[in-house]
Amino acid sequence: MSGQERVPRPAHLVEAVLLVSASPIGASDLRSATGLSEQDLVGALTDLRERYDPEASGIVLREVAGGYLLSTNPSCSPAIERFRQEARPAPLSGAAHEVLACALYLGPLTRGAVSRVRGVNSDAVIRSLIERNLLVEVGADHDAPGSPALLGVTDEFLAATGASSRKDFPPVDSLVTQEELARVRERLASSVTTPPDAGSESS
Amino acid sequence: MTFEPLGRSLSDFTVELDVYSGPYEWLLALILKDELEIFEVPLRELVESYLLARHPDAANALERDTDFAGSAAALILLKSRTLSPAIDADTEGIEDEPLSPEELAERLTEYLKVRRAAEHLKDRLAQNVGHYVSAHTIAPRQGSLGIEPDRVSLAARQAFSRLIEPPVRHLGPITVTLQELAGIILTAIAGGAISYESLTSDMDRLNRAVAFAAALSLAQDGSLTLTQAEPLGPLTLEPAR
Repeated sequence: MSGQERVPRPAHLVEAVLLVSASPIGASDLRSATGLSEQDLVGALTDLRERYDPEASGIVLREVAGGYLLSTNPSCSPAIERFRQEARPAPLSGAAHEVLACALYLGPLTRGAVSRVRGVNSDAVIRSLIERNLLVEVGADHDAPGSPALLGVTDEFLAATGASSRKDFPPVDSLVTQEELARVRERLASSVTTPPDAGSESS
Repeated sequence: MTFEPLGRSLSDFTVELDVYSGPYEWLLALILKDELEIFEVPLRELVESYLLARHPDAANALERDTDFAGSAAALILLKSRTLSPAIDADTEGIEDEPLSPEELAERLTEYLKVRRAAEHLKDRLAQNVGHYVSAHTIAPRQGSLGIEPDRVSLAARQAFSRLIEPPVRHLGPITVTLQELAGIILTAIAGGAISYESLTSDMDRLNRAVAFAAALSLAQDGSLTLTQAEPLGPLTLEPAR
């Protein structure tokens, strides 16, 4: 047994730090914790990506929410849920997806603005999303009466969608085709020009 | 929002939804106790489940259908109230300016984009489900416990936010005070015991409730005695012994 302490490789250091974190760690925090140079960190992360390839490991390395995160391979999730004796969280409702889309693409915006876009009151959905840590109050609209809170998406939301940042999402305009938009305008134009209940007027 | 007590005709009806799986009656109870958000419950799926489970030839089919229709209608009302924009007392009754066709087209276009973005998010969330992270929780270091103003503000909002007052317009005006009703009760029992039913037979619901409160108050003062021979049995008001 030698008295000399083994010097861990850069990948081992990064791996160890990532293992004990439940949230993504940014590159600067990883460098700070491990004392590695930027070049060594890049090399270590390359090693870890190979080691934690989803095809070869029960643990995967994810680049989400502006950082790096070790998490379990989704293919192993049934075993984990049995072990933890807990069910997978219920999927979000359509209303919740719409509110998140508002916050992601139009945000930060107030509760009232979300309700205006959707055309229905969204307070209850927003409350539920805040409780699930997918939405957060990021500031206040000081120009509006009462300075209502502004809502934005959280890092947990980015991690849940596998996104590194908001830029990872496609532009909202690319999600709607010009044909769809044209159909909306066409239907609207026909409903505006057609007099309601034409001919049913009593004299 | 209140539900009339359900019969037990639906006791064997169970539902399988994304957000809940189990007896229908428990689903109603969870919604009423705010354990489950009504907006998360897909009512169309609920109705479809009932139609699939329905036995038209059963002896109590009519009773089951009636109970389900009643409770489903209440759920629709509750959900629509939850989704409706809150009415501002200052602007209630004032019609919004109708949108111009251009503004309407703009609003619909924006909503269409949000709908498509929501569908995209749904797919992304589904693709990324099942990632579990380390269960290791790092203990906060002493001296580094910071107070985040945003979180304090959020906690304060939640603690002090006032729920919207429930509408009471349906209750009608109060035509008699508690003191007046106490006087009526004392006069009525002067001649001997009288049942609560006969005392309040010509009163509306609100006055009956106030009369009950007055009777309780008098009983507490020792001015009369309330007797009820059996649970939920007739209530009798007697002069204090």
